[in-house]
Amino acid sequence: MIRNYLKSIGASAMALSLLWAPSAMAEPGAWSDEPVRIVVTFPPGGASDLVARLLAQYLDTEFGQKAVVDNRPGAAGTVAADYVAQQDPDGTTLILANNAPYTIAPTRFKSIPYDPVNGATHVAYIGASAPGLFVQPSAGIKSLEDYITHVKDTPMTYGSSGVGSISHILGEAVDASLGVESIHVPYKGSSPAIQDFRAGVLESFYDLAVQNSDMIEDKEAVAIAIASSVRNPELPDVPTFKEQGYDIVVENWVGLSGPAGIDPATVSKINETVLAVFANPEVQDRLTELGITHRAMDSQGYTDFVANQIEVWAPLIIATGIAE
Amino acid sequence: MSTEPSNLQGQPAPPKGSSRAQSWGGEIGAVALFALSLIFIFGGLKLGLGSFFRLGTGAFPFISGSILAVLAIFVGLHEWRSKGLSHPPDWISFLAIVAAIAIFASTADRLGLVPAVFMSVIIASFPDRSLSLMGKAILGAIVSAACWVLFIRLLNLPFKAFVGM
Amino acid sequence: MDILSSFYSGLLVVLEPHNLMYCFIGVFVGTFIGVLPGIGSMAAIAMILPLTFYLEPTSALVMIAGVYYGAEYGGSIASILMNIPGTPAASITAIEGYPMAKKGRAGVALFSTATASFGGGMIGMIVMAALSPSLAKLALSFGPADYFAVILLGLIAASAVSNGGALKGITMVVAGLMLGTIGIDLTTGDLRYTMGIPELRDGVHIVIVAMGLFGVSEVIASIRTNKGGSIAQKIDYNHFYPTREEWKSLFAPIMRGGAIGSVFGALPGTGQTIAAAIAYAVEKRVNRAKNLFGTGVVPGVAVPEAANNSATQTAFIPTLTLGVPGSPPMAIVIGALMIYGITPGPRLLTEEPDLFWGLVASFLVGNVMLIILNIPLIGIWVRLLQIPYKYMYPTIIVLICIGVYSLNNNVFDIWLTLIIGAVGYWMKLYKFEPAPLLLGFVLGPLMEEQLRRAMLLSRGDPMVFLERPISATLIAITVAVLIYAFYAAIRAKKITASTSSEVQQEGPNT
Repeated sequence: MIRNYLKSIGASAMALSLLWAPSAMAEPGAWSDEPVRIVVTFPPGGASDLVARLLAQYLDTEFGQKAVVDNRPGAAGTVAADYVAQQDPDGTTLILANNAPYTIAPTRFKSIPYDPVNGATHVAYIGASAPGLFVQPSAGIKSLEDYITHVKDTPMTYGSSGVGSISHILGEAVDASLGVESIHVPYKGSSPAIQDFRAGVLESFYDLAVQNSDMIEDKEAVAIAIASSVRNPELPDVPTFKEQGYDIVVENWVGLSGPAGIDPATVSKINETVLAVFANPEVQDRLTELGITHRAMDSQGYTDFVANQIEVWAPLIIATGIAE
Repeated sequence: MSTEPSNLQGQPAPPKGSSRAQSWGGEIGAVALFALSLIFIFGGLKLGLGSFFRLGTGAFPFISGSILAVLAIFVGLHEWRSKGLSHPPDWISFLAIVAAIAIFASTADRLGLVPAVFMSVIIASFPDRSLSLMGKAILGAIVSAACWVLFIRLLNLPFKAFVGM
Repeated sequence: MDILSSFYSGLLVVLEPHNLMYCFIGVFVGTFIGVLPGIGSMAAIAMILPLTFYLEPTSALVMIAGVYYGAEYGGSIASILMNIPGTPAASITAIEGYPMAKKGRAGVALFSTATASFGGGMIGMIVMAALSPSLAKLALSFGPADYFAVILLGLIAASAVSNGGALKGITMVVAGLMLGTIGIDLTTGDLRYTMGIPELRDGVHIVIVAMGLFGVSEVIASIRTNKGGSIAQKIDYNHFYPTREEWKSLFAPIMRGGAIGSVFGALPGTGQTIAAAIAYAVEKRVNRAKNLFGTGVVPGVAVPEAANNSATQTAFIPTLTLGVPGSPPMAIVIGALMIYGITPGPRLLTEEPDLFWGLVASFLVGNVMLIILNIPLIGIWVRLLQIPYKYMYPTIIVLICIGVYSLNNNVFDIWLTLIIGAVGYWMKLYKFEPAPLLLGFVLGPLMEEQLRRAMLLSRGDPMVFLERPISATLIAITVAVLIYAFYAAIRAKKITASTSSEVQQEGPNT
């Protein structure tokens, strides 16, 4: 209790110092002569890795800041987060983190070796993508209402990209909210789940919605609802859960963080530079293709966001039964 | 058809020190496998077998452990009946390599790639008596320099050559 | 024919000088990185990926593909020369290749693998050009029950991949299955056998197992016995060429290996490992020299290599047409394409014909380059064996350490390699074969995953394995193979004394 209290004092003190930092108007540009390592919590090839490589590329070409991507996958992102927490806070080691190490792990694991809020400097929020629910066209389900009537009688199998993944958490949240019980079938990533869905052995699946727009267009899958707060401009016809009366918002966000104690001037320099990269139309196009909606946030805003997300996600994670 | 004569000809003469001895190694191996299978069987039971519908966490280790237990018994019987010949273990080489890897593992993060490679090479070359200590040091220096060029300069792997420098 | 004209236009794309150059760079870099122990195609592609951002998609894909099969080939060089395979497929190549090197015939072994690799690659390419849509459909018609059955068959084949007899082989396969369960359970998220060690949550990396069981134990066993240079390698070029007899003995295995590889390669996830294992097991049954398998024979080294390389090419089919990566390197390929805004999927063939046919044609060009590059290099590789072993082995040990360390940038993996290496040395002394264990270790988690998924989807009805035609057929084949093996073993026991086979096996380990 007392420790938490002290921590929160520490957090507010830090917040104040950030507010008053004179460098809030830092110009975008290189912040270190050394190459910056962007640690990624996944092996090469995923969306996170792509964002990191995109960022590294544009940091170099636009701002002369050399950057390399360092993949340290393992234990749901906690290996990478722990590693970064132990590095020097000089702005040369950053982590492209997401929900996994900072908002899921604190609730899921009995103990984690780092403090997700105060044990890190949350530098810049990058964006989020939302998953949706997809069913077989042959099932004749057109809307969430159809879905509910259908699954009430006969439980449906649904594929997710793994136990404890966002799509699993969403699946459980939907079940709890609709008062039904579906059969969870976990996969290693979404593409094998989609393969089984295409092969017709899987009745439904949850996955990041925009990445499946081809299947929707080709009428290979029916998108029932998306778990964002507003409709995605890429998928104007897919309704949100929220607008249909179920307050389910589950978003997969990514942002850039570093070890605790990076000096505020460097933090805002990095923040400005990263925001400048993501303001580039080419980069925005790539993000849109990946289904990521970008939003600008300053370091403090991002820190608050992470702290808030832990609270938001805790009940969802407990509902999945994966919490240790 | 291959023109290999027989696999035994054309081999270098068996080196000294490899006088073949009867050993219980095969039987010990079978017992070790059996013990391993028990760990997985009981571990599997503890993790839960689940149902046909939802196979539990322990189901697969339990099944494969049970199969292994049976196989290990057969292997043990087979080894016992056909006494195998084998080389005696070379403990000096074994310990040198174990130590070389251990030193690499314990210094790579703390001191950096170059010192780790250097020390590891020197320790690994311990069983060889034809090289002087100086020769081993030179070998270590060449290999660590080559590793630095290859892995850090050329391949750009995220290693640090020296830590704290 | 439509395919021919498409292929021709693809060929024109690849033959543009800059694409030709990227193809060469890819093959070149891939081969050299692949030779390094523990650094396989996965790491090689990840390293070259940032470079591809500056290229147009076709050039990038051509280069990545070059790195991929270059590294696969490089991996087999390391396993032939030093018995340090980084992948299960390369460990099968090592079974025949390493004994050949020990007999002074490393040049022939490398020449045979280069040829087999080329032959397999060509078969894979033809299959990909002609049958992509149908193979994509085949992969789509595979449900979890069918995958389970195919892996089961692969495991039975894996037990044949050893010199120690089928009983010990299958025992090591099952031991591998069990070790594969270490880590987090995919279906429930529970931890299994991790002993409270956080690094074991994600299981043990295949490269760690391979480097420990093969690399480390081989070095320990060789320090006193291998003087290097003492094995007279025949290094003049005339001796790299197989004899006429061997040439003839190469053709059929390459055809069989390539055909088996091209079918299994199209199955995501399981392709290359199963392809190499089944191809070797089949060859061991049908080849005229089958009794010499395990002692270093040319068909034995050629067949897994042909199967592996042909599977490497057809692995692009599910990757590009279904968007399902068959292996971690393929996941990077998908990632690279997505950077260009190209989403792999059923539309790719029609929307990006240049890319698809350019890639297919690049297999032809790349494989030709691979062979042009590697035939002269054989001399250099073989000379590596002339270096006295006292200089070589400390280098091999640090290369293994660095390779393993680069997997997750975590020293724990080096400690784990040390433990597995110690066990591997002991296994080597008492002839418990590591190759089947490695195959079981890789296929076990896949098998469990598909088994549990099949049961979930059938809602607990085990009959699903017999009701689906594909899985029923495969299970019938598996049962038939098992019954035959059992029958053959009993008959062999009655006829020959078991000791004679023991003496035979001494060869490769001397």
